[in-house]
Amino acid sequence: MASKKFKLNFTFKTFIGLVLLFTFLFGAAVLSVIDSKVTSKLDGVLWTIPAKIYSRSLEIAEGGLVNKKNLLRELEMLSYQKVRKATDLGEYYYNGKNLNIFLRGHLKQSSGLYRITFEEERVKSIENQGGSVVNSIILEPMAIGGMYPSHMEDRVLLDWPQIPDKLVKILLSVEDQGFFNHYGISLKSISRAFFRNIQAANIEQGGSTITQQLAKNLFFSSEQTLKRKVSEAIAALLIEFHYTKKEILLAYINDVYLAQSGTRSIHGFGLGSKHFFGASLRNLEDHQLALLVGMLKGPSVYNPRRNPNNALKRRNVVLRVMERDGIISTQILENQVKEEIKIVKPNYSSETKYPAFHDLVRIELRNNFNENELRTEGLSVSTNIDPVLQESLEKNIVLTKKQLIKKYGSKLNKLEGAAIVIDIQSGEVRALVGSTSPRQFGFNRSLNAVRSIGSLVKPFVYLTALNKYQDYNLVTILDDSKLSVPLSKNSSWEPNNFDKKFHGNVPLHKALWQSYNIASARLGLEVGFENVKETFKLLGIDKNVPHYPSLFIGSFEMSPYEVAQAYQSIASDGFYTPLRSIREISDAKGNVNLRYPYKIEQRFRPEPVSLLKFAMRQTFLEGTARGYSLNKIDKWMVGGKTGTSDDQRDSWFAGYAGDYLVLVWLGFDDNRSTPLTGRSGALQVWKNFIDDINPSRVNKAILPRIHYVWTDINDGTLSGPKCKGSILTPFIKGTEPKPVPSRKNCGPAFEETSNTVLNRLKSVLLKD
Amino acid sequence: MNKIKLILIILYLLGLSSCSVNPGKTEDISIADVGEFSASIESLLSDPVFLRNEVRKINASKPSIQRIINGADAFWKNGNLEESSKELERALRISRNESAVFLRLAQIRSEQGLRLESGGFAARGLMINGISSWERLLLRVYALDK
Repeated sequence: MASKKFKLNFTFKTFIGLVLLFTFLFGAAVLSVIDSKVTSKLDGVLWTIPAKIYSRSLEIAEGGLVNKKNLLRELEMLSYQKVRKATDLGEYYYNGKNLNIFLRGHLKQSSGLYRITFEEERVKSIENQGGSVVNSIILEPMAIGGMYPSHMEDRVLLDWPQIPDKLVKILLSVEDQGFFNHYGISLKSISRAFFRNIQAANIEQGGSTITQQLAKNLFFSSEQTLKRKVSEAIAALLIEFHYTKKEILLAYINDVYLAQSGTRSIHGFGLGSKHFFGASLRNLEDHQLALLVGMLKGPSVYNPRRNPNNALKRRNVVLRVMERDGIISTQILENQVKEEIKIVKPNYSSETKYPAFHDLVRIELRNNFNENELRTEGLSVSTNIDPVLQESLEKNIVLTKKQLIKKYGSKLNKLEGAAIVIDIQSGEVRALVGSTSPRQFGFNRSLNAVRSIGSLVKPFVYLTALNKYQDYNLVTILDDSKLSVPLSKNSSWEPNNFDKKFHGNVPLHKALWQSYNIASARLGLEVGFENVKETFKLLGIDKNVPHYPSLFIGSFEMSPYEVAQAYQSIASDGFYTPLRSIREISDAKGNVNLRYPYKIEQRFRPEPVSLLKFAMRQTFLEGTARGYSLNKIDKWMVGGKTGTSDDQRDSWFAGYAGDYLVLVWLGFDDNRSTPLTGRSGALQVWKNFIDDINPSRVNKAILPRIHYVWTDINDGTLSGPKCKGSILTPFIKGTEPKPVPSRKNCGPAFEETSNTVLNRLKSVLLKD
Repeated sequence: MNKIKLILIILYLLGLSSCSVNPGKTEDISIADVGEFSASIESLLSDPVFLRNEVRKINASKPSIQRIINGADAFWKNGNLEESSKELERALRISRNESAVFLRLAQIRSEQGLRLESGGFAARGLMINGISSWERLLLRVYALDK
């Protein structure tokens, strides 16, 4: 009996023991899972910050040139508000001569009021609020995109020095007054919420501490169930066990969800501040901090864009709590509740605002960073994009397409395009579009459409000749009569001109600006494949050049980006600079860890290039791009080249004006014919864009070895200023035509040289 | 030092004028710059310390650019060529025609062992209108360095 009792007892005890053991093991396993989740998430996932991509920051310096119209456009894009008196962050007053701007501040640029005085297009002076002269001011860059993980969570990681004390005080006052006294959960808060919810017969109030909220944000959905609440409480206890109060608070500040912007979710006060106010958190005023903290109760319900009235009410509730807890005085409260809610326009709602430019940045980034680094390490990428030029380029490619459809009909509905704007001297890419629907993601024609470049190849051939300056000058006579080049026993190549006519003997410059195919092909054959190939190489064209004569008139395929690179050296007087979209990359702490410096190599002497540029200027005066205002041609030192491929499949224009080189391509993706030439298509985009951005005036470099001589525009013989069809033609010293008696009544051919013109000017100025 | 500078400029100008009065000769522009130097000038300008000091004495025409240059020079003196270059590139974005900036970039690239780039910056600086003979002479030292 005793044995039976013992057996029963043993069995019962064993059972209880096993249950307890199992419960313990199960509990330990659950705890271990949650614990591992907590540590791995807080240590790792929380700090996976997407790389952010920014436009260039505009620096305005005393004595520097500024296009005031474009500056005002940029201020609008950065959501600065025009007011009668700038008194708040993000406001400006402009009267044509002065700009008073209340900067939001960025990196080393402190926020505050600055007064810029202009003298026409130049900045005369800059003063700060105290009246002291300031060297320059820097506008904050525009966030234009990021490299996001699939969940599209976005944040700006802040550390303690970037977080205002006041934000912490407000957070603790509003969200968790006992934060420093509990261990993750607060029974007092829970019981208060419990009774309130019983009274309301609904779940109206949460008793969550900041730690619990952090746990919920990190690991759990927003459903209000008991199971989730228990798990959340356990996670909160574990967070408190592993981390200090300061670390928890910092994680919370960086992690809270504040808004949705398209597919992108806005997390943390750092990004929240930028997203709603366009300013850094430390530059926000009390009412702005109150608004952000107020949104935590319901990011959607209290979103100031969607529900401004709710947001205003909630903000004022928070301001009153701040006054109650002594964070602000009663007087400040009275002033702050009167403040309007002023929020900036969201910059972008998907991965990027400018998809084509983003592609280029991504390609350059991938040379130095892997995908994981780009999506998790919080890199900050400063690019060279000028948002004003980018928007103008987008606007004008769309506008020109509409104009062309109006002119040529619906057959151009599917017309596509690409365009690139380069800063000539530095090679910085200022704008890039890859489609006639520039905001759509998809095939980027600027980078990936490899098309026949037509006559855009000709300047490369002519530069090869002019570089042999002892053999060729601008009036070297080229033969534009019928040409037949035997290719094999039974076949030959016979190029045609666009107008299907022969033009006989023409001076070299005219053959270029009239884009004569036959004369150009003969010139290419004369200077030879190898020399032309060498020019291609020096211009940065890194691809196999075919060995057939049609190469010289453009049966050669390149992408618009490659063409832009080649024309950069021409526009830049023979100085090759690799194109680049990125300026520098900083890590999450703001330290620059990669810079893309300005590189330059002199690939051609400036004199032969200046002769080529003379002919490319003539393209605008008398050639295939004629019809442009002389005033603009002189002000911006304009030059360019049209290009049309066989059967008008491609319409190209490469041209420079002021500091910019702009390359445009139009055509169909399926390579069918268009009704467009380079002149009637791509040039129109170029003109619309250049007229819109109105570049600053540039001065022509005076090359001492260039002399000017009057020649006849049609036959290249010496002429004089009084004869019709005479043009002042540049020659490299020692290569000008022999001084023979000029034509009757034309005046002396050598009368006006660059030096004598200058000397005359000097004498006039000195007399005055 | 000013006396040396004056002598150099005179020698340089003498070199130029002797070149320009050579009648009947077709000038070969690819070597003209080289030929304009006499051996004596070249040897005087081959002292790197002298050169660096002379480059640092060249001031910008605009006060705002000069202030940026001062910052760049401070980095340079501390051996931080990268930060100095960054500041000089910043200056170029504000004003494109400051020979003082091109000279410094030419010297810094030379110190970084980037001879082609050094020559490129110098040659670009030489295209600026209205620079002084001394600046021109200094720029030509680097432009020759190819």
